[in-house]
Amino acid sequence: MTEQGLTIGDMLKMMRDPLGAPFFPPALQALLVATWVLHIFFVTLALGASLFSIYAFWQQRDERARQLGRLSARLTPNALGLGIVTGIAPLLFVQTIYDPLWYTANALTGFWSVSFIFVVMGGYSLAYFFYLKGSQDRRLLFTAVISFVLLFFAGWIMHVLHGVSIRPEGWMTWYMPDGVIDTRGVTFHAYNIPRLLFLLPLQAGLSLAVVLQFSAWYLRRRGDEPAFLDWVAELGRRLGVIVSPLYALAGLGWALTEGPEFGVTLVALPLVALGAGLSGYFLWLKGKQHGPQAVLIWLAGLLVVAIVREVIRVASLARFGYSVANYPYTIDWGSVIVFAVTTVVGLAIITYLALVIYQAYATREGHISPRVERLGKVAVGMLGAWFGFFLLVGLYTLIVLN
Amino acid sequence: MYPFWEGVLIHSTLYVAITSAFHVLVSHLTVAAAWFNLYIERRAVMENREELYQYLKRSALGLLVFAYVFGALAGVGIWQTTTAANPRGISTLIHNFVFFWGAEWYMFLIDVIGIIAYYYTFGRVSKQTHLRLAWILALGSTGTLSIIVGILSFKLTPGLWLQTGNSLNGFFNPTFWPQIGLRFFFMFVITAAWALFVAAGLPKGFFERAKIIRYGAGIGILGLIGGVLTWLLIYQPALPQHAWAILPSRAIPQPTFPIIYFGLIATAAGLLFAFLAPDRQRRVFALGAMVVMYGAIFGAERTREVLRKPDVIAGYISSNQLVFNDLPARNVSSEEQRLNETGMLGSLPFVPAASQIAVNPRMTFGSSDPEVAVGRVIAIQQCGSCHSISPQTELSVAGVALDLRSQAKLLQMRNLSTVDEIDAYLGGIQGFPYMHPFVGTLEERRALAKYLAEFTQLSAPQTAAQAGK
Repeated sequence: MTEQGLTIGDMLKMMRDPLGAPFFPPALQALLVATWVLHIFFVTLALGASLFSIYAFWQQRDERARQLGRLSARLTPNALGLGIVTGIAPLLFVQTIYDPLWYTANALTGFWSVSFIFVVMGGYSLAYFFYLKGSQDRRLLFTAVISFVLLFFAGWIMHVLHGVSIRPEGWMTWYMPDGVIDTRGVTFHAYNIPRLLFLLPLQAGLSLAVVLQFSAWYLRRRGDEPAFLDWVAELGRRLGVIVSPLYALAGLGWALTEGPEFGVTLVALPLVALGAGLSGYFLWLKGKQHGPQAVLIWLAGLLVVAIVREVIRVASLARFGYSVANYPYTIDWGSVIVFAVTTVVGLAIITYLALVIYQAYATREGHISPRVERLGKVAVGMLGAWFGFFLLVGLYTLIVLN
Repeated sequence: MYPFWEGVLIHSTLYVAITSAFHVLVSHLTVAAAWFNLYIERRAVMENREELYQYLKRSALGLLVFAYVFGALAGVGIWQTTTAANPRGISTLIHNFVFFWGAEWYMFLIDVIGIIAYYYTFGRVSKQTHLRLAWILALGSTGTLSIIVGILSFKLTPGLWLQTGNSLNGFFNPTFWPQIGLRFFFMFVITAAWALFVAAGLPKGFFERAKIIRYGAGIGILGLIGGVLTWLLIYQPALPQHAWAILPSRAIPQPTFPIIYFGLIATAAGLLFAFLAPDRQRRVFALGAMVVMYGAIFGAERTREVLRKPDVIAGYISSNQLVFNDLPARNVSSEEQRLNETGMLGSLPFVPAASQIAVNPRMTFGSSDPEVAVGRVIAIQQCGSCHSISPQTELSVAGVALDLRSQAKLLQMRNLSTVDEIDAYLGGIQGFPYMHPFVGTLEERRALAKYLAEFTQLSAPQTAAQAGK
């Protein structure tokens, strides 16, 4: 209970937007969890690729590592670009059902929240700069190092924002230390180092590990040098073998620190099981090669992490009677239909684009199969038709809903 | 209500403005450049002109590295800055339009994956397939533009949404179509500068260099003419009466309009020069045009945002983040009326009760008066969203203060320095078309006046002398 008579639970309820959610809140929660998986995969891949390219160009001896380092330098900004774009979706859904948390965390950490984007821009620019100007002949390595530091720092900012958001009990103290409001937003109020280690550097290692497996599988199909690809695949496997147990340990550390804080120490089980399972998987991979399967297994693992992360948030808020299930909502069919139609069109186009990229480099010459070409025709037709649909919805609104 | 972030060095809303103007420049560039590249690529395919691919590849690399990802980043930057600066404003938009934004997200994905596919498949897929990728980029980027305009224009003209609460009414609002037209034309001007920049970098002897510069400049000139006509004939007539009252007011600080006019004239002159003398085009000219346009866009976007003052969503929620009208269709009641009765203090989250507020003279310009400390809390809630309410956001560079409508300076300008004068002024503040009435009790207003008097006197010692301190 605060002195003014508002409990934290009252505050959280009052802070929910009076308009309510436009759809069943648990469905939005599911979308939040699912889209975060994609986001964290690409972000950690960018971090892993960045770190590997630094190592590859820093060491002098191994030419294979440098060859792979060049590929990693190219992968870093592209993975980051995808990480940024895939990050927009969870950002949308978190604001819709967890608005009191997200907005409070951002306002309390305002300076860093706003700086975040400039930090990422710096990291992205330097990553591209290194790829275009430095990675060919090992020059400008410091740009890659600064890029990595900036990107990791951006991850730290997001980590703090999340940490603040799930600790409503600290908000008033952080906002009004000693009864005086602090409007600067410059303090990192909450963090959890095991969680940070688990989610960023260790997942970066695992994302890189599975992508190395995938790359070896993919490049083998177009006839690249088998010895080099064997080395790449084995490097990925070894990386997985080393990182997975550390991942399990960090998961245990996370569960044993945040778990008791929010009353969900049991989350240690899935986190440790995931680390142990991955350790076993990478050990089992010896002498074998997994391409898409490795990535799919890792995405499934990330889904487990996303669910655990959500469980912790839910547990934290349950202490104050806040539940997504009780979030007020009114189904807004107009926007739901626009989203649903765009989902169908968007997925068709994205599938086509992914297949074009995939097939363009799957052979030495680059060949797009007739089936994919047909899909392209249909998908572009669907995208054109989307504008007709959009216009019709506009006309319907102007004529019927007027 | 949420915690308040005033900003550091500059006001929080200036962070929004800087990020937004950059986003507008870059995102419009991606849309129009996609169409321009499609046009060039179609010519390359149909007329079998291999040499045009050299331009396309250069342009695509620039767009990949700079425009698409930076556009997306700056878009996320707008989320971050608006969230920190005015959380309830962005919350209203998200709770109305999350699925529209979700739809736009797909278009973003198409754009970013599309430009990766487009750039990295030059020479690796058939020309027809590559042309299809160009179509996807053009359509996808236009999709993002079409969706975001509905949300942006809603803030100024929510239209029937204020009665029905239906997001479709809010989205397809009275200024939606005019603004689509306006942005569509002006984005070709931005693209022209981009095309000139890329083409000017081609080798001097490259025989398509002059032609591409001419294409670009010609399209830019047409875009400029179309944009100005759309502004005069379609957009302006659709503006609500309130916006007309704001346009000539002090809410739009000078030299906003001269910057916009200068930007338009300089851009027109630059494009004309490029069109008439393509061989003399230099990269630095195009870069200069971009800088000029950034200034003009900054002014124009800021004006568009200010036109709806003092509201974040015209007719619904004010800049100080209070809902001031009922919306029965969505079961929303005005908050202002209740707060006038109960007072602000202790009635909202993060607006503490008087008993919780401590005195720290560092935050109250040396004053130990508890009422001044209370006044600071009221200033934070009532004024801080739009005004600099402390020296914290009054960065000075070479003696020039970069504050945002500093409360102290506004009061000095009006020769108001005593508590009584400022209190009376606050009582009639709603007389300005861009201000809402004070919300809260008379005691709270008095406390606010005390805080502002201290702030004013700190900022101008001569005012302190006048006030007899």
